Amino acid sequence: MFVQKGYSLGIDVGSVSTNLVLVDDSGNLHYKLYLRTGGRPIEALIEGLGQLSENLLPGDRITAVGTTGSGRRLAGAMVNADVVKNEITAHAAAASAVAPDVKTIIEIGGQDSKIIFLQEGVPCDFAMNTVCAAGTGSFIDRQAARLGIPIAEFGSYALRSDSPVRIAGRCAVFAESDMIHKQQTGHSVEDIIAGLCEALVRNYLNNLAKGKRILEPVLFQGGVAANVGIAAAFERLLGVSLIIPKYFDVMGAYGAALLAHEAVVANGGTSKFAGLDCIKQDFSARSIDCNGCANMCEVVCIYSGNKKLASWGDRCGKHGKQ
Amino acid sequence: MVVTFPHMGNIYLAVKALFDDLDIDYIIPPPNTKASLQKGSFYSPEEICLPFKLFMGNIIQAIESGADTVLITGSCGPCRFGEYSELASIVLREMGHDLDFIVLDLSKDVGVDGFLRRISKITRDVPMSRTQKVRTVLNAAALMAKIDQLEARAHILAGYEKNAGDCKRILHQALARGLECVGSEEIGEAISAAQNEIERIPIDLEKDPLRVAIIGEIYTVIEPFSNLYIEDLFMDYGVCVKRHMTPSWWLRDLVMKPLKLNSLDLRRSSREYLPLYIGGHGRECVGEAVKAWQEGMDGAIQILPMGCMPEIVAKAILPQIQNDKDFPILTLIVDEMTGREGYITRIEAFLDMLKKRRERYRGGSFSTGILSGINSKRHGYNRSVRKKYGEM
Repeated sequence: MFVQKGYSLGIDVGSVSTNLVLVDDSGNLHYKLYLRTGGRPIEALIEGLGQLSENLLPGDRITAVGTTGSGRRLAGAMVNADVVKNEITAHAAAASAVAPDVKTIIEIGGQDSKIIFLQEGVPCDFAMNTVCAAGTGSFIDRQAARLGIPIAEFGSYALRSDSPVRIAGRCAVFAESDMIHKQQTGHSVEDIIAGLCEALVRNYLNNLAKGKRILEPVLFQGGVAANVGIAAAFERLLGVSLIIPKYFDVMGAYGAALLAHEAVVANGGTSKFAGLDCIKQDFSARSIDCNGCANMCEVVCIYSGNKKLASWGDRCGKHGKQ
Repeated sequence: MVVTFPHMGNIYLAVKALFDDLDIDYIIPPPNTKASLQKGSFYSPEEICLPFKLFMGNIIQAIESGADTVLITGSCGPCRFGEYSELASIVLREMGHDLDFIVLDLSKDVGVDGFLRRISKITRDVPMSRTQKVRTVLNAAALMAKIDQLEARAHILAGYEKNAGDCKRILHQALARGLECVGSEEIGEAISAAQNEIERIPIDLEKDPLRVAIIGEIYTVIEPFSNLYIEDLFMDYGVCVKRHMTPSWWLRDLVMKPLKLNSLDLRRSSREYLPLYIGGHGRECVGEAVKAWQEGMDGAIQILPMGCMPEIVAKAILPQIQNDKDFPILTLIVDEMTGREGYITRIEAFLDMLKKRRERYRGGSFSTGILSGINSKRHGYNRSVRKKYGEM
């Protein structure tokens, strides 16, 4: 059904990173791109698509597009995606493609963390952090910056520790004040970082894995999987060995690409994709407080120039009509 | 005397009918919005549960339009609801409002005399015989049941409708029309018309929609603003939703309680996991979860306000039910935030999961036990929809 060199494009617009992948129709990852969103998802996506088109050969075609992440609807409207999927389903799809027998997925991203349980490749339970961002990438980022350590080296500091200090991991605010306190009493940076990694893992397990049985094989993915200190803390506290997939940082985008491919095949093989030239358009997002009724919905409209591409947030659906 | 009362789902229609019939002046607070939540939470203790904040918002907005008497239900029950009426009256007095509070409580707690004395504060000036007054109250209760029936029907048929949006439109139009009518008879006619209309919409019986039970804390499951309009969302998705907790269920439960004949079904279904009442509707929540499984639903979603003690107890029991019965249950905790995206992510993922589970069961790899149970029940369910249409 697919012409040669047809790729599925997966886009994951998260709070911290915007990731793009190209996947060929046998599911191999051909190209990946990891960019910082920097609070500007539209710009990040345009930048990403620009870089991607420079890396495509003349004969390459994009035959399916899927978006995921917290900015999935925005991205979906911009590129006219075939599939707009939540990140839990996308991560589960990616993980079971990488390791078909996976039973538990630990995913820690920039602003959220989740745990997904699977039975025979089908998600049977999941949990996502609810009220607190302690233990996610942003918090680790912030602490690394505070200690003046590059984030890439943060985890290796933890591995050099002999006796991790005890840090309260329940809440990011408590954890930070605990850390400062331990610092001032003279503990080494290594011990503090190792203690922080353990605290964050404890927080994760108490919050998300509460009352659930973690069965092997366990996959660890999301940006934080790059942190060897956190991975080691998981292995120590759970007593299992983690599998960190090769493309752990773009698994959401990978899953979106797989789901898009599946959907396009099921629909007869034609993609709705707007084409890579879509980045030449002048995209903007405007939010309005609709005063049409007492609900006063916050409506977001995505425009290309003066043309409304999509809108959401209204209860009655009148803004959705073009 | 101008009476007002807080919102909870569609109760305002039945209360409106009652006050229309009794010819009592009343003000219905504006529907719950961000504005009422902001007002309410400004005057509420930070750590109180969400229903209180909305409740305060309603009362304050009604006072602004001239209400001077507040009618609320109370309870000496072992959850924070028991504190609501006291707390609200103190806060409002400190704000400088001179209000009359009429707290309708269980006759068990305040005595039959106390109960009647409290009611008579509103009804003493009504020129009706006692029998007439009682009949009016019964009419309003019957109207509430009718509204609940229409809503339940719309939530189920939304999964089968051929033209997307029919059920949602009919339901919301009927409620809006009801608000323009006067008295239980007129409102009842509006609801009946919608009931007839909804049974005539084109439906597709070949569809096999997902079916989800909404369980959890009574206010947050019934008041759509507090659960971010989850049932409207499911109607958009074409997913059938069943909710056991309704205002008319609550009324029935209240009336039957002194006779110890209330919610026998839930007592039976919760017996295995929580054989005693722990306050609020914790036991009911557990019972509803088991009942949803028995009825062959695909999954259940528990909704609770942050910090709700009885529901937290139930929440701790639900994973056990989930494991024992292989029945997925998702818990959503609601509070003041109005950002829906996080909820939608979880709900969509939950629905994806339910869909995948069905595919797996249908695929045959799990052909025994669970499959046959679910299928026979599901067919039974489809049959009940069909019977209604005389097509089978």
